[in-house]
Amino acid sequence: MSMSISVSNVSKLYPNTSTNYRTLRDDLYHLTGRLFWFLNSHSERKADHFWALRHINFEVKRGERVGIIGHNKSGKTTLLRILAGIIAPTEGKVKLNGRTGVLIGTSAGFQPELTGKENLYLNGIILGMSRREIQQRYDEIVEFSGLGDSMDMPLKRYSSGMQARLGFSVATHCRPDILLIDEVLSVGDLGFRRKSLEHMRRLATEGNRTVIFVSQSMGPIKQLCTRCIMLNQGHIVADGHPEEVTARYLRSMNVEGQEGENLYEHPHGDVG
Amino acid sequence: MSYIKSLTARRELLLTLTFRDLQVRYKQSVLGILWAVLQPLSLMLMFTLIFSLLLKVPSDGLPYPIFVYSALLPWTFFANSLGRAVPSIESNSGIIKKIYFPRELIPLSSVLATSADFIIGFVIFLGMMLYYHVPFTPYMLYAIPIIIIQIAFTIGISLFASALNAYYRDVRHALPLVTQLWMYASPVIYPISQVPERLKMLYLLNPMAGIMEGYRACLVKATAPTPLYLGIAAAGAVIMLVFGWWYFKRTEMSFVDVV
Repeated sequence: MSMSISVSNVSKLYPNTSTNYRTLRDDLYHLTGRLFWFLNSHSERKADHFWALRHINFEVKRGERVGIIGHNKSGKTTLLRILAGIIAPTEGKVKLNGRTGVLIGTSAGFQPELTGKENLYLNGIILGMSRREIQQRYDEIVEFSGLGDSMDMPLKRYSSGMQARLGFSVATHCRPDILLIDEVLSVGDLGFRRKSLEHMRRLATEGNRTVIFVSQSMGPIKQLCTRCIMLNQGHIVADGHPEEVTARYLRSMNVEGQEGENLYEHPHGDVG
Repeated sequence: MSYIKSLTARRELLLTLTFRDLQVRYKQSVLGILWAVLQPLSLMLMFTLIFSLLLKVPSDGLPYPIFVYSALLPWTFFANSLGRAVPSIESNSGIIKKIYFPRELIPLSSVLATSADFIIGFVIFLGMMLYYHVPFTPYMLYAIPIIIIQIAFTIGISLFASALNAYYRDVRHALPLVTQLWMYASPVIYPISQVPERLKMLYLLNPMAGIMEGYRACLVKATAPTPLYLGIAAAGAVIMLVFGWWYFKRTEMSFVDVV
């Protein structure tokens, strides 16, 4: 079987500041610090930064459905964003073969002022479909999303569940070779969740496609995935059969129950 | 080379983003696309009142309204392009955080969307030419290379400033002030002939000076633009475009960390 995704020695360093933007003042401060480095202790970089991911290595074969689990701040979303090409790793290399469908966060989150239909087109074209391709599949996408009578409504009036439906339907109907999905099923209703899982399984088995699926809930991981990777503090701590890895995750949750209560998924931006 | 190829492959996305810009801009506004015309026209009236009727600024023997509009229209295109492109990376953070595509398409689409306003404003300009009996001449064709130079320069600055604004929001706050000062440093409300001779070379280092004077020469004065002025402007535009593009590509992967 051919290789679909290869991740070699990937690390990501983030600044550990409370604000996620820089100001000229901060930079001037750091610049003078750098110019007069001999006056500073050189531990600064370590104290101000943390490794969101550290030395991540794995390969995914075509047709594999890989679940990624871990506590909050374990680096799941960062890893998925690196795979999607949204952020660059500080170190290491990532290689993906084929068209990628991406859905990160619970909303399609595109243009609140535009209608569902306009957002569908925008989203599809960004994902690499042509306008004609979308026209051909428009009915199929809308049918799957179940949003037939809301397509002319501005996206800002959609509930988060409806946005997730739309985003999921576009991402999975662009016939990607690789599908990257994060947490999207946490807001859909039970019926749509079930339908989506089934759809992803069908996409993967029929087209020999690859699925990377990040989730907090173990049920869908066990139902969908053929393999599961568990992250903890930026390291891979387990990689194997979903039953075993999810069981291990649940055990670790009981040990560090407090950790699971952390409200902040990631210090650099929202996931939803 | 393969980079250019990959960009042309994304032209559909560029057009979609541009169209989205236009759609979003005038949604929920009563006058809609009319604003594209109202803005330069009302500035023209205001400047005519202040600078022609009150301060008696010379206008190379032309009626002041058409004299000022021939530069004000492209100037508005320039200033509005920057006004939309500079905060564009920041304001599209939602989309940047969720999906990858060549980020330069965002500021490029802002500039492209603003060109729609320019085209509408230009039609008004042609009407004004008829009204003021300014003859149509073949010299007007010089406007084509001039607009290319202007767009190249605008894209260069937009790429650089939008990337910089992703890191330093100071850029966005400084922008209105900068464009206003810049307008007074360019021959928009007064003719270039008013600039003291000994300062002229320094004055022309601003590419917008050569561009504005070029429009005025070929559109309303029925002369060819001064080659030296336009040459300096073209060189400045190319340098800015290359530098802006280079800076943007160098920084684009960290936008997501800062917006």
